[in-house]
Amino acid sequence: MDLFSQLLRNRKALIGVTILLVVVLLAVFAPLLTDYLPTQRVGRPHQPPSGDHLLGTTRLGYDVFTRLLYGARVSLAVGFGAGLLITVIGTVLGIIAGYKGGVVDEVISFFTNMILVIPNLPLLLVLAAFIGQASPLVIAIILGFTSWAWGVRVTRSETMSIRQRDFVKSAEMLGESQWRIMAFEIFPNLISIVGINFIGSVIFAVISEATLEFLGLGDPNTVSWGIMLYNAQNSSALSVGAWWDILTPCIALATLGLGLALINFAIDEIANPRLRTGGMLLRWAGLIRRGEGTL
Amino acid sequence: MSDPLLSIRNLSIDYVGATSDFHAVKNVSFDIARGEFFGLAGESGCGKSTIAFAISRLHRPPAIIRKGSQIVLDGRDVLTLDDAELRQLRWREVAMVFQSAMNSLNPVLTIEDQFHDVLKTHTGMSRSAARARAAELLALVDIAADRLSAYPHQLSGGMRQRVVIAMCLALNPKLLIMDEPTTALDVVVQREILERIHKLRQELGFAVLFITHDLALMVQVSDRIGIMLEGELVEVNDAQAIYRSPQHDYTRKLWASMPRLGGERAGEGAAS
Amino acid sequence: MAFLLRRLAFYLAAFIAAATINFFLPRVMPGDPIQIMFAGAGSDLSLENLNALKLTFGFIDAPLGEQYLAYLKSVFTGDLGRSIRFFPLPVTELLARALIWTVGLVGLATLVSFALGTLLGVMAAWRRGTLLDTVVSLSSIFSSSVPAVVVSLIVLFTFGYTLGWFPNGYAANPMLDPGWTWEYVSSVLYHGTLPMLTMVLVLTGGFAVTMRNNMINLLGEDYIVMGRAKGLADRRVMLWYAARNALLPTVSALAISLGAVLGGSLIIEVVFNYPGMGNTLYQAILARDYPVIQGELLIMTAAMLTANFIVDLSYVLLDPRLKKA
Repeated sequence: MDLFSQLLRNRKALIGVTILLVVVLLAVFAPLLTDYLPTQRVGRPHQPPSGDHLLGTTRLGYDVFTRLLYGARVSLAVGFGAGLLITVIGTVLGIIAGYKGGVVDEVISFFTNMILVIPNLPLLLVLAAFIGQASPLVIAIILGFTSWAWGVRVTRSETMSIRQRDFVKSAEMLGESQWRIMAFEIFPNLISIVGINFIGSVIFAVISEATLEFLGLGDPNTVSWGIMLYNAQNSSALSVGAWWDILTPCIALATLGLGLALINFAIDEIANPRLRTGGMLLRWAGLIRRGEGTL
Repeated sequence: MSDPLLSIRNLSIDYVGATSDFHAVKNVSFDIARGEFFGLAGESGCGKSTIAFAISRLHRPPAIIRKGSQIVLDGRDVLTLDDAELRQLRWREVAMVFQSAMNSLNPVLTIEDQFHDVLKTHTGMSRSAARARAAELLALVDIAADRLSAYPHQLSGGMRQRVVIAMCLALNPKLLIMDEPTTALDVVVQREILERIHKLRQELGFAVLFITHDLALMVQVSDRIGIMLEGELVEVNDAQAIYRSPQHDYTRKLWASMPRLGGERAGEGAAS
Repeated sequence: MAFLLRRLAFYLAAFIAAATINFFLPRVMPGDPIQIMFAGAGSDLSLENLNALKLTFGFIDAPLGEQYLAYLKSVFTGDLGRSIRFFPLPVTELLARALIWTVGLVGLATLVSFALGTLLGVMAAWRRGTLLDTVVSLSSIFSSSVPAVVVSLIVLFTFGYTLGWFPNGYAANPMLDPGWTWEYVSSVLYHGTLPMLTMVLVLTGGFAVTMRNNMINLLGEDYIVMGRAKGLADRRVMLWYAARNALLPTVSALAISLGAVLGGSLIIEVVFNYPGMGNTLYQAILARDYPVIQGELLIMTAAMLTANFIVDLSYVLLDPRLKKA
């Protein structure tokens, strides 16, 4: 597909995909990369990084590096799982609202805008408080069912501009059913928007899960980057100077977020060439500098 | 031509790409005399607007005007001017009416503000003096002075077109460039605009560079016409000569492709 | 005018939606809703006080519809019940104090970030392809991908613990009495520096890239070219022709991002132990103080709606096309 080949040539996308791949590989091959188990006492409390423990130990003597690797699995799973759910709901509702118009559109838009205007994190917190200790699965489900609103808006406006195009009108005249049109004529033209929406949702889900767990609303028995933050905060890692305990999940989250964001910016640049930095402008600048011409 | 107003020599303009360049204008040369109505015709993409933009140096990257080009306006080569001189020259010596004048006006400023900023920048006029001058200019195009406090979206398309023309004449430029000014309008309005321009030319004496793809229209209003094809200027001549005895193959094809209701076919006055 | 009225009606509906969520949450969770809501009370709560609370939240002996109306009545008469943890402190009083801190911190931080971000975005778009453009674009990527919790922790770690330049928490020195004394005010500013800094770091990038992209999207418009063709000074075209128009979709984006702004402030308050709405909600959740939790959702929603309305107002002021006579 054209989008993919362009993506591969884009520097931002390459770096982003590389980061993502590294994280995924680390998560998948966790057992091979470390001898310890994530909830196994293998050292003294808050030992600094050393040969035995690459990233030191936590307050309870667990190996931080091991928890980092196994924790990646949960963060990635929740991120992509919830991200997928958010994107599917948002895209489907957005296409239906944008294509069908009329009452259907009004109803969907009304509810979407309402949800958008109720602050997201407080709502999540309140839900999580009523649910009690939320496992990653429960968190993913809550995220999926409360955060699709943004995707609906974006997909809807793109759908509305596509539906005026000739190929859609000719499909309508040929008598294609509305569902077929939405699925096979409109949707293929929304790929870059859906892609950006998906990656954005994954970032959002990863961040929200970590945040909810940091605040103590998650299940303390899980091993995830958010729980690592929670444990570090509760064991006063900052005040005792156990920087590895708290910085490890911080940097892990930042890196994953960065990789995903780079991919997103790359897709945006490809879809909207005007936003690009570098490329032909560099060549142009070179010509001007050499005195080959002027503006 | 002796003492032309605008003298273009060897103008070459490229659009720089990632690996190769698109040659939009290839080595074009022509003159426009003072007070002359010069038409530049050709199909879409032939480079005529690119030339128009170059005269005031309005291009942005990745456009590049190649070394060796010359655009001499009233004795000065526009391509050698620095930023300050360029800004002084713009609107004072040459003004431009864009393709869809409806979108040429800034949506968030009033009409008066948009007259004021150009008048203040170039002449340092006070607010009240600028307002008076703006009212004067609007009168030239038959628009009431009370429209000064309006925003562009409050005026009709035709009115906006006329406001832009009035704005162009604010500093009495020597050259007025009109880039497809009538394409988006119907024929009746087209006629009105052209007649208005004709009258104003008689009063104020400016030259016009008129860009369009409508050759038949151009022949009726222009003194001289240039025909462009794929970046090259293939023929330049008096309007009547272009009409009766086109020299270049492409010009003949242009005429031949036009449906006629009756009478003499264009270009058949002389041997083909 | 009609535009603003429609927005107000919509906000009212959204507020009622938040109240509705509050109403149904305890009732759809497994277990006895009254048990869930007031279990934390223990022996502090006399029977008549418990009954008063039950009435406030609609737990009356009547069909669901009537319960709902009873609850709505409480909400719209400003009765949000009393805190279980700090009984008999009314929820509204508890939240009012917190609200002032949050509005101060978040309001100021949003204004600063928006101003800074849009300015950077304008310059980055105007000087396309230069170092500034690249730096702004890249730092915006960081800004949108690194969670607020991470930024807060790193700022706290670096400036609070390691370098010790700023205090590690609270809105002001707890030893001081609140008041308009220089001592107290300067303490507030000193304590507020790190949370402010964190918020600005988190928010600015997003605004910058939004403004940059909006500017770039309209740089090809005819009125921009005409502005340059008129020989106007570069800065004038950049500010009054380009930026002024790009401001409109950017302000729209601000409205949409307010939810994230509030969410981010929540985390920052928790990390820095700042006594605002966010921290209050967090403490309430830890203590299972449900009246406060529910009250927070309503007040935070109301705050969001108010902020949205303010943005709507500015949009009307900024866009002449909306100012119908």
